[in-house]
Amino acid sequence: MDWLFFGEISLAGLAMGGLYALIALGFVIIYKATRVINFAIGEIMMFAAYLFLAFAGGMEMSPWVAVPLAVLGGALLGGVIEKTMIRPMLGESPISVVMVTIGIASILVGLVELIWTADPQLLPSFLPRTPVFIGEMYLAPKIAYGFLIGMAMLILYLLYFRFSRGGVALRATASDQAAAYSMGINVRRVFNLAWVFGSLAASLAGILVAATGGLSPQFGIIGLSVLVVVIVGGLDSILGALVAGVFIGWLETVAGAYLGGEYRMPATFAVLAVILVFKPYGLFGTHEIERV
Amino acid sequence: MFNQLMQKGRRLAGIGSVVAALGLAAPVMAQDKDPIVFGGSIPLSGVFAFAGIHLHAGLTDYTNWLNDQGGINGHPVEYIMEDTAYEVDRSVAAFKKISGNENLATYYGDSTGFMKAIASEVNEMNSVLMSGASFATALTNNETYPYQFIPGPNYTQMFGIILEYIASQGEDGDMPTVAFVYSDTEFGKDPIENGKARAAELGIEVVEEIVTKPGSVDVSAEVLKMRRARPDYVVFHGYILSPINEFMVQMRQMGLDTQFMGTFWSSDKLIIDKMGEDADGYMGVMPYNYYDSEESGPMLDALRAQAEKSDPEAGYRPTGYMQGWFNAMVWTEVVKRTLDAGKELTGENMAEALASIEDWDTGGIIGIPVTVKDMSFPVGRIWRVNASEGRYEPVSDWIHLD
Repeated sequence: MDWLFFGEISLAGLAMGGLYALIALGFVIIYKATRVINFAIGEIMMFAAYLFLAFAGGMEMSPWVAVPLAVLGGALLGGVIEKTMIRPMLGESPISVVMVTIGIASILVGLVELIWTADPQLLPSFLPRTPVFIGEMYLAPKIAYGFLIGMAMLILYLLYFRFSRGGVALRATASDQAAAYSMGINVRRVFNLAWVFGSLAASLAGILVAATGGLSPQFGIIGLSVLVVVIVGGLDSILGALVAGVFIGWLETVAGAYLGGEYRMPATFAVLAVILVFKPYGLFGTHEIERV
Repeated sequence: MFNQLMQKGRRLAGIGSVVAALGLAAPVMAQDKDPIVFGGSIPLSGVFAFAGIHLHAGLTDYTNWLNDQGGINGHPVEYIMEDTAYEVDRSVAAFKKISGNENLATYYGDSTGFMKAIASEVNEMNSVLMSGASFATALTNNETYPYQFIPGPNYTQMFGIILEYIASQGEDGDMPTVAFVYSDTEFGKDPIENGKARAAELGIEVVEEIVTKPGSVDVSAEVLKMRRARPDYVVFHGYILSPINEFMVQMRQMGLDTQFMGTFWSSDKLIIDKMGEDADGYMGVMPYNYYDSEESGPMLDALRAQAEKSDPEAGYRPTGYMQGWFNAMVWTEVVKRTLDAGKELTGENMAEALASIEDWDTGGIIGIPVTVKDMSFPVGRIWRVNASEGRYEPVSDWIHLD
């Protein structure tokens, strides 16, 4: 066995997994606080990536300005979606809310086609192009730097949730909405905050993934891979999102390299099926007990 | 702002196109003969919309140009289409609706899936000749698809042309090596087995074969395999843009001097527009002259004039436009030959007329006279990107497969 090749493949997979973890984090934050499964997460990523394209490509802004602007744009979009489309659905059946998110995804695809046309796009190059070697192992520079930026964002998020007032409010609401409300936490504001933060993480990941693989109105399909990640990790577990994101990224890449590209998805869905059989709430998800 | 955006996105389809598509545009010539109807399932939205808009513009412009010339033997031509969003069920519904309401002669199918799904009905109807966006090898099986044809070489033939070019670059005893990279779709897998067989016949070793998901994917791991295989040529199939760019950029970053080639849908100017300097040296097989090539001919000049007339601001017209125009050109030739022979416009008669096309001068759309073989036009040329000029330039003669 060529261990150097295995090492390089694993490294590429882990780096991609880091980006999956970031997207999954966005998904989990929203679910944890609001109990909404956001099927539009891939399209929010896509929209932010198109915003970056507009800022850095069309308006020729520096990437250092365009990336934060696009990420903030994506976060703002999340906040607006929550306030105008998700909040009115409070108390409705979860299926109805899921359908609303699927509808939002479809609207975003249409909007993007209207504004930027259906042509496939490449983002302006903003990451270093010098090959990265770790020992003898080669790692594509876009993946390496994308991973580092993604990890920095993940750490910031974890610190925020652990130590800030907003983070504590979010965690309190996630653990018991009624108790949080009675303690004076503005739960509606927390819901909005969760969508903003969730979309912000997804937006950054969207730009980094699109910088690697290109962009088109069908980009949002990556949300399907992330759905596998969050179900494996546990829908309401941040730790689960991180662990499962890295694992699924690694598994997809290794399966693709050794078995062929057509086995990437079957490999991850096989893991999903096994996890669901033995751990229906995911590896780290909360096992809810309902008493009647 | 909004209007500007709309103009940018839909300009190439053109308002005139929509009017024609609705069948409301009366032919300029006063013709009292029954109209001949060209129908189409056109992907103006959905995943193939980037090409569908231009295919539609090509079909529309050709129809308008043809009517300006007096139609076909005095028959005006109508082009009637529906948007399908590149979904087979919607394409089938559009076909049923158009064929039910109109006296349909020819039809543009938007996908291989649709062409296969509708085949039994087309065979049973025996009244329509069909072609379209697909270059699928399977469609050149005359027994299963007797009334469907390919407006160029099929994907296997494209691989044949590419491999002949690669073989021509080898010196005695030192044949170049090749790797195939294709998408995990019916489209992507189409020519691979035949391509491997043809490579073996030519003495070209296929040193790597990589399958990827279509579209936006990370291919870092796949590039690592290329680093070990070190092919002289990589042939892409089943992609429009990504991940071709990533393979090229990353393999060059690794210091490999591999050359990169692609088939029809991977060889549009989009590659140059989006990749810029990174696209330099990329090669594609193309059966038609590019809109901005230095080639000319009466029909190619007419195409350029009509394109300019229908939308003066559009500038370059993509290969989808050329493909749409050429489809309608072939339909016209087939209908004309059938009518000239005093025959009815049945599927069988039109297929017979198509098969009779030999050494046909396409007026510069294709650079040499073409002969139909197995319901396809097995001809093409290798073009290479000159990034500084922003266009493809020919690097081979026209190759007509026997």
